[in-house]
Amino acid sequence: MTEARATILIVEDESEIRQFLRSSLGAEGYKVVESGTARRGSIDAATHKPDLAIVDLGLPDFDGVAVIRRIREWSPMPILVLSARAQERAKIDALDAGADDYVTKPFGIGELLARVRAALRHAVRIASGKNLLTLEDAIIDLEARKATRGGKEVHLTPIEFRIIACLAKHLGMVVTHRQLLGEVWGPTHVADTHYLRIYLKQLRDKLEIDPVRPRHFVTETGVGYRLVSDDETQ
Amino acid sequence: MNTVRPWIGYACAAGAALFCTFIGLAMVPRFDIVNIAMIYLLAVVVIALCFSRGAAILSSVLCVAAFDFMFVPPQGTFTVDDVQYLLTFAIMLAVALVISGLMESGRRQAEARAALALEAETERIRSTLLASISHDLRTPLAVMTGASSSLAEGGERLPPADRAALAQSIYGQARDMSEQVAKILQMTRLETGAIAVERDWAAISEIAGSVLARLSERLAGHHMMVDIPADLPLVRVDATLVDQALANLVENAARHTPSGTVVRVRGQRKGNELVVSVEDFGPGIDDRDIERVFDKFHRGASEGAGRGVGLGLAICRAIVRLHQGKAWAERLPAGGTAFRFTLPVEEAPRPPSEAESA
Repeated sequence: MTEARATILIVEDESEIRQFLRSSLGAEGYKVVESGTARRGSIDAATHKPDLAIVDLGLPDFDGVAVIRRIREWSPMPILVLSARAQERAKIDALDAGADDYVTKPFGIGELLARVRAALRHAVRIASGKNLLTLEDAIIDLEARKATRGGKEVHLTPIEFRIIACLAKHLGMVVTHRQLLGEVWGPTHVADTHYLRIYLKQLRDKLEIDPVRPRHFVTETGVGYRLVSDDETQ
Repeated sequence: MNTVRPWIGYACAAGAALFCTFIGLAMVPRFDIVNIAMIYLLAVVVIALCFSRGAAILSSVLCVAAFDFMFVPPQGTFTVDDVQYLLTFAIMLAVALVISGLMESGRRQAEARAALALEAETERIRSTLLASISHDLRTPLAVMTGASSSLAEGGERLPPADRAALAQSIYGQARDMSEQVAKILQMTRLETGAIAVERDWAAISEIAGSVLARLSERLAGHHMMVDIPADLPLVRVDATLVDQALANLVENAARHTPSGTVVRVRGQRKGNELVVSVEDFGPGIDDRDIERVFDKFHRGASEGAGRGVGLGLAICRAIVRLHQGKAWAERLPAGGTAFRFTLPVEEAPRPPSEAESA
């Protein structure tokens, strides 16, 4: 896969954390570039042109969100943020500013690697323009706007399709309430979270095998939703 | 006593002087006026005992005046013929001052004792916290220090399986410890009011789903059941906090019941409240514990040390209170325990309808 030998930029001030990220990511075959400050991170992102950036939110000089904004000015590269438990607000701000996903400290390396893979796959998928989504027994054709489950057609409303399309654009990664509401209902509805609660329930009832314990339309409590297809769970 | 409003003391002082005067008038035909003075003195003593120093002084002045005016010859005037009555007046005033002074210092001592008791209670909680932290955090630290030093100093001589086991145990202990530390910090933040509740519409079924997914490893030994009706209304809550509250209940149930048993998460609507319950089919808890399970650092009677810092349920209750709900435990008729909490229900506005041609 193209994701091997990908270059990953780590913007993190704690050298011990950089060290274990460097050795684990290195062992997976990734090339690692490290920056200890926000200022350095923004410069390294421009000079090394990494395939993915991992940005800590608690940097000493500037907010990690500032780094994300700088990168987003010129690049759509996937960005993962590292946040502490008490940084709920900062995490959501980072995602709204253009970060693609997050990992909460302390994290196991397995969790981080899974996020890294999903983000790199995402970049590849955008290039390939794949439009067919498989969720166990359900298949959704985003272009033809058709969904089937076990071969039988499932009726989805236009809004339900729009929600799936928005989540699928960030397949395997988190989409905040704000992003989802803005994209599906428009900028005047970014605070109407109850729309999402109602529609996501409908989607789960139609497409999940166990709607109470969803495997595909995953809730990120307090943050947003994540669509996980069968390609992601393997 | 101190909580009585001051004017009541003064009113009683005036009332007592009046009352004594009536008694005195009734006594006059048969008693010496020295004994009438005794009645007034009694009134002064009672007022001094029950009320403030000001009321006591007022009472002594009023009693002296009334006694002088009504009974000391010449009656009907404030003039005093016999100098010895001046002594009576002086004694009444002295008694009022002495007794009210004694009462005042007694009250002050009681307040000081109450303050000391409060301080002792705070100190007890603090030392319980310290004791529990030092035990619950030092044990995993000891494991981590030992295991990681084995790996760092000569890990290459260990068989690969042992190395993996050591690393796994460091990982496990570190994860547990970070949970404990997070709980301690969360409890502190909840107690100091450092948490802003960010309310938004949330579905209990979604919160339950994400709790079960997150804890799936720890719940692997139990049969988890979810019983949440499809038409349960949305709630306006801080989903991150309610998620924690529910997770702590689920974790608690899984920890205290034998593996292989059922743990059930339920949601019910009762009037204007939504009741979220975690029901287990474990050994159940005794009456004393049922009252106190949600207290900080409380451990069940049969529980040993070293099973978490005992903050999970206290955090749950603190979160529920922030949402104007209540949390309690009750015994289930079939054995086992239900841990429940309530959240207020508001009606969520419906999204604009879509012309659905289903």
